[in-house]
Amino acid sequence: MAVVAIEMARTRKNEQFISVALATATCTLLGSGLPTPVDAQEEPSWNINTAAFYYGEDGGRVQDFSIKAIAERMFVDDRVLTLGLAIDALTGATPSGAIRLDVPQTLTQPSGNATKTVPAGEYPLDDTFRDIRVALTVNWQQPFGDTNLFNVGASLSKEYDYLHVGLNAKVARNFNKRNTTLSAGIAIARDQIDPEGGIPTPFSSMLDVGDLSNRLGTDSKDILDVVVGVSQVVSRNLVVQANYSYSYSDGYLNDPYRILSIGDSVSGDTIPRTPPPGVEGPSHEYIFESRPVERTKHSFYTQAKYYMNGKVLDASYRYMTDDWNIDSHTVNLRYRWPLGASKFLEPHLRLYSQNEAEFYRLSLVDGAALPAHASTDYRLGNFDAITLGAKYGWKTRSDNDMSIRVEWYQQSGSVPANLIIGNQAGRNNYPDLNALIVQFSYRFSR
Amino acid sequence: MADSSVNLIELRGNVVLLDFWASWCVPCRRSFPWMNAIHHKYADRGLVIIAVNLDRNSADAKRFLERYPAAFRIVYDPDANLAKEFGIEVMPSSFIIGKDGQSTARHAGFKVKRQDEYEAAIVAALGLESLLE
Amino acid sequence: MKSTTIITATLLLTCSGCASLGVEPWERDVLAKDEMQLNADPVEAAIDDHIYFSKEASSGGRGFGGGGCGCN
Repeated sequence: MAVVAIEMARTRKNEQFISVALATATCTLLGSGLPTPVDAQEEPSWNINTAAFYYGEDGGRVQDFSIKAIAERMFVDDRVLTLGLAIDALTGATPSGAIRLDVPQTLTQPSGNATKTVPAGEYPLDDTFRDIRVALTVNWQQPFGDTNLFNVGASLSKEYDYLHVGLNAKVARNFNKRNTTLSAGIAIARDQIDPEGGIPTPFSSMLDVGDLSNRLGTDSKDILDVVVGVSQVVSRNLVVQANYSYSYSDGYLNDPYRILSIGDSVSGDTIPRTPPPGVEGPSHEYIFESRPVERTKHSFYTQAKYYMNGKVLDASYRYMTDDWNIDSHTVNLRYRWPLGASKFLEPHLRLYSQNEAEFYRLSLVDGAALPAHASTDYRLGNFDAITLGAKYGWKTRSDNDMSIRVEWYQQSGSVPANLIIGNQAGRNNYPDLNALIVQFSYRFSR
Repeated sequence: MADSSVNLIELRGNVVLLDFWASWCVPCRRSFPWMNAIHHKYADRGLVIIAVNLDRNSADAKRFLERYPAAFRIVYDPDANLAKEFGIEVMPSSFIIGKDGQSTARHAGFKVKRQDEYEAAIVAALGLESLLE
Repeated sequence: MKSTTIITATLLLTCSGCASLGVEPWERDVLAKDEMQLNADPVEAAIDDHIYFSKEASSGGRGFGGGGCGCN
């Protein structure tokens, strides 16, 4: 190896030979006005990140109160154990998929035990959406070799009618003086659906109270996700990444509570029906939705973070396409603006658009042959969404981070003209969504 | 602007541990206590530790030194001239330069688990029997 | 899928051109800052992912690591 001898002039200040005379005890030096009361020899072994958050849609729809915590326990040499916990309390109603009519409608509840009547002109909502959800994640990170990083983890979540179990792993390798990182990850999951009253047979009719003859019990779906990506340091102030994800789901992909109205081929109004005498039941013809049993998605994601003299711009774009014929675009922009040494403001804008699934319908047509699949789920429809908000953050007296985020999320959609029949044209058919998001965060180390 | 001034020719006859660090480098917080311990153990046996700081702004380095005080010599190299000479590929990096001025070992990164290995290389360069407990 | 092949090839080409891009190890002071990490706020990211997964047809796609201080 090379011998190096560098002779350069000393400066007059002799600054380079700062020998901080240190006796064997270090504690004598610590008293002199250090910013934080931390033993200089010890690094924190826990990083804990907590948040309380509220999501609320207007119009009596979904409300979610949630607390989340992610705890990282650091071990020597960059090994990390991460534990995550989330608890959500959900209330409120969600559109059932039946179209609005100019007359009242009565529908049987998902449990099959009661009915509910919806006034004329209103969206029939399914309001049995009351639930507590608990989710746990665990992850272990371990470097191996000089340039590789390995992660393995598991996830579990449970709510009244749903169980999710998953495993995931990923590897990352650094190249080019750590300017380039290549990563690959895989996740598998098995989700079990056990809805109230049991899973209704796809395309079966909504039945009278007490009639559960079309119910199948429980079902499940399997999900495989694969992600490959590259991140690249471009300059001292700019880092970018790009990923490709592949996702494959197989099994019961329906929403067990969603229905379609059967409409008259001319007027488009839902066909009325009379329950048998002495029995309560639906006032009109409704059938349960049916989606394909497989779904393949491809996503392309790219992100850049750019530092401009204290401010940080975070911009990302994602394109998704699947074999249900849905294409979506997501643009996310965040601009972090420091206010003094310990506070910041970060406005956020998210723009989203998707087109409808190939089997998306506003309603079915009486007398026409049933399509292979059909769903009125507005989340598979044609809509644009915008999120606008800001986060304000500050350092506490003990040098920990707190922040508050307030955002407004709006979805507005439309039903393609070729899916609208008769009187449906005069109504606003897409259940537009307006939601408020409020989040309070606290991050600290031990 | 302080010049980096490391005259290794003057230091021949000593073993030099040349360590490249910066205030934002997280593993450096672990390497400093270790270098203090090594300094106390081997300084009177011919070991000279020189920690070369690569911060653009020496104020950041000084803030680091208040939290992680150093018993050994600190040199400021804000233009990274020394770092380029030595071909640093990762932060932190350290080099053991033997009594004859030849570089005998190069360590990329600082791993707590490899402390014994780092120490053994220094002991070998010093020509001492093992003092490892 | 044809577009899959094109995008994967682009990713690989981008990577091979990477040897000329980047900074020296001692120039990562800005990249080491918390606010410059690619996933700077994992709790907020998890919250957002969950909201949008529940209300839209797309999900996830976000990435991994890289950037940062590049230490060790």
